[in-house]
Amino acid sequence: MVLDNLGSSLRGTLSKLQGKSRIDEEDVQEVVKEIQRSLLQADVDVSLVMDLSDAIETRALEEEPPGGTSARDHVLKIVYEELVDLVGDSTEIPLEPQTIMLAGLQGSGKTTTAAKMAWWFSKKGLRPAVIQTDTFRPGAYDQAKQMCERAEVEFYGDPDEDDPVKIARDGLEATSDAEVHIVDTAGRHALEDDLVDEIEEIESAVDPELSLLVLDAAIGQGAKDQASEFDDAVGIGGVVITKLDGTAKGGGALTAVNETDSSIAFLGTGETVQDVERFEPNGFISRLLGMGDLKQLSERVERAMQETQEEDDDWDPEDIMKGSFTLKDMQKQMEAMNKMGPLDQVMDMIPGMGGGLMDQLPDDAMDVTQDRMRHFDVIMDSMTEEELENPRVVGQSRVERIARGSGTDEETVRELLEQHKMMERTIKQFQGMGDGDMQRMMKKLQQQGGGGGGGGGGGLGGMGPF
Amino acid sequence: MFDGLKDKLGSFREDVEDTAEEKAAEADAEATPEAEAETESKSDEDRPGTVERAKAFATGKVIIEEEDLEDPLWELEMALLESDVEMGVAEEILDTVRAKLVGETRSQIASTGELVEDALHDALLDVISVGQFDFEERIAEAEKPVTLIFTGVNGVGKTTTIAKLSEYLEERGYSSVLANGDTYRAGANEQIREHAENLDRKLISHEQGGDPAAVIYDAVEYAEAHDVDVVLGDTAGRLHTSNDLMAQLEKIDRVVDPDMTVFVDEAVAGQDAVERARKFDEAAEIDGAILTKADADPKGGAAISIAYVTGKPILFLGTGQGYGDIERFDPEALVEDLVGE
Repeated sequence: MVLDNLGSSLRGTLSKLQGKSRIDEEDVQEVVKEIQRSLLQADVDVSLVMDLSDAIETRALEEEPPGGTSARDHVLKIVYEELVDLVGDSTEIPLEPQTIMLAGLQGSGKTTTAAKMAWWFSKKGLRPAVIQTDTFRPGAYDQAKQMCERAEVEFYGDPDEDDPVKIARDGLEATSDAEVHIVDTAGRHALEDDLVDEIEEIESAVDPELSLLVLDAAIGQGAKDQASEFDDAVGIGGVVITKLDGTAKGGGALTAVNETDSSIAFLGTGETVQDVERFEPNGFISRLLGMGDLKQLSERVERAMQETQEEDDDWDPEDIMKGSFTLKDMQKQMEAMNKMGPLDQVMDMIPGMGGGLMDQLPDDAMDVTQDRMRHFDVIMDSMTEEELENPRVVGQSRVERIARGSGTDEETVRELLEQHKMMERTIKQFQGMGDGDMQRMMKKLQQQGGGGGGGGGGGLGGMGPF
Repeated sequence: MFDGLKDKLGSFREDVEDTAEEKAAEADAEATPEAEAETESKSDEDRPGTVERAKAFATGKVIIEEEDLEDPLWELEMALLESDVEMGVAEEILDTVRAKLVGETRSQIASTGELVEDALHDALLDVISVGQFDFEERIAEAEKPVTLIFTGVNGVGKTTTIAKLSEYLEERGYSSVLANGDTYRAGANEQIREHAENLDRKLISHEQGGDPAAVIYDAVEYAEAHDVDVVLGDTAGRLHTSNDLMAQLEKIDRVVDPDMTVFVDEAVAGQDAVERARKFDEAAEIDGAILTKADADPKGGAAISIAYVTGKPILFLGTGQGYGDIERFDPEALVEDLVGE
């Protein structure tokens, strides 16, 4: 994730301040040094890092911590505010008809991003179309077309035409009944004058409401110049960071945001068209500082629940709260969990679970859990309808049969049954609660994770049946 | 590439020179008796003993001490980071420079500038010039067909590099066949096919979703049967964090057993270049690297980082979108150019 390194090293340094009520210059300098290191290792522009750390140092030394605030919370709050200030709000994307153009270096992930954004708009109830104007790179047309098929969105491109401006113009006309037009362009860098001219022409032909710069999370200090040149050429209104599922920290995006005076719009976190997230600054910084990101989590939960429900009309997650909790419900929940994305990403959003705690878990802890879930899924596939609805009928002979049928062992089958019993008990406890109780509980959870200062991540949203 | 760093290295030299000049001036002003008074206050082990210092004063020499270098070295570190040199690697360079300079006696005749230049030259060459071999020689001497596999993350330019290298080899009299081991990405088959058609090369490819190792294996068989010199095997871009895909890469490496594995990354990459180079090297040991997009005004530090962390040389730079836009990478010339006046 973006800057997650900053998260863990900062937490480490800040924990040294634990218990202190006053901070001296030495403490501040140590914290500031740690911040510098982390930001530099995250590829944030060197001069931007110096500005930021100067500001933090000055404020930490000059501002009196409000009464009762510990030194740690005081510094944490300042770091939080300065970072929020730098990152700004996420790019405003109104849910209305519009044209968005994508620009960026070769291989930064524009075409994949175009399809992902189209998918995102379609989930929001708008009708998108992707227009592919890359006439240069071999295979670009086919790639865009296939990605759009996967995203189930409209696509326009013309493999026989060499003029990207003409394709852009024709494309807008051909897809005129779409509400959102996403114009993909060929990769180029700021020194290729003729290509910069070309994108300026495309820009004036399609007259987009918004031009987004697509940046690879791994880009280094060059991000600054690339961003400012693209900004000069077409006016950058927001930044998309791609390949965030790797280990790159994406600090180049912060530089670009600063340079173009814009904001971060979307994050790309995988190779399938669903792997796209809107950027949420508060949640992002909260997550960064180990405060969790409930809003992002609840969005994912809702989306996943909805999708799981769409696939199976008979199943309604709300039923769990009323009737009995069957193995079928458990399977659906696991399916929904899977749809939310990799478990470690999800965990990171839970207040108190992300950050500090995650750092302590062994690296493969999440893989093990995910493996277990996969095994459970296979086992449930080998069960009869009756067994799924009423797991109590499963005795020793059925366990044997299920283990054989699913290619697992009896122990795992029993583990699954045990797991189900545990979840059933938990759900039973929830069933007694009214809506109000639920919200109180969530609030409590959030406060616990919020760590005092800084204010926790975004609002609650609807947490659904969880 | 490296434009920024060259300037900064120059100013590092000047900084150290200035510091040394100041010290020399101080030393001249200081009378010998006062040096004795310092004996008690300065007993630090690291520092040159008073006797040595006195001797240096007497012979008109100045000794460079660690604290003299603190500020210039900080500036140098920032310069390296600004050039995308990975932090750990930058620290390695600083250590070498520090070790070479501290305790060095600068006679007033020999310039400090030369001393610094040598130290920088050696420190940079140490990290960037590793495991050098002659690519053409290796191709010439290897038993044909020679199989090359290209690895790297998504979007760095593996396929384009393969097309360029095929042309590079053709110009030197080696025929080549392209193999599309990227059976995953949308449009991958079309992309490499178009390159093959443009260059009039044979392409071996399977359906999307096929086994990449099998594709490259088929290409090797084709090359054997048709007397083709070199097999250029593409692979799907993958992030080094994807365990499944990295395991697949290991399998390709095991099944195909290539003569050379080339890691492709972009010259504009930042700190992460080290991490991924290391991971790819672990999965399928690399023989060298090619850096692409070197025309996009990269800072160039990725070259230093990757060479250092893998201990394998940077072989080529990709410098544009044409098939001829590929250049040999010469670390010695680069370092000469960087630290020269």
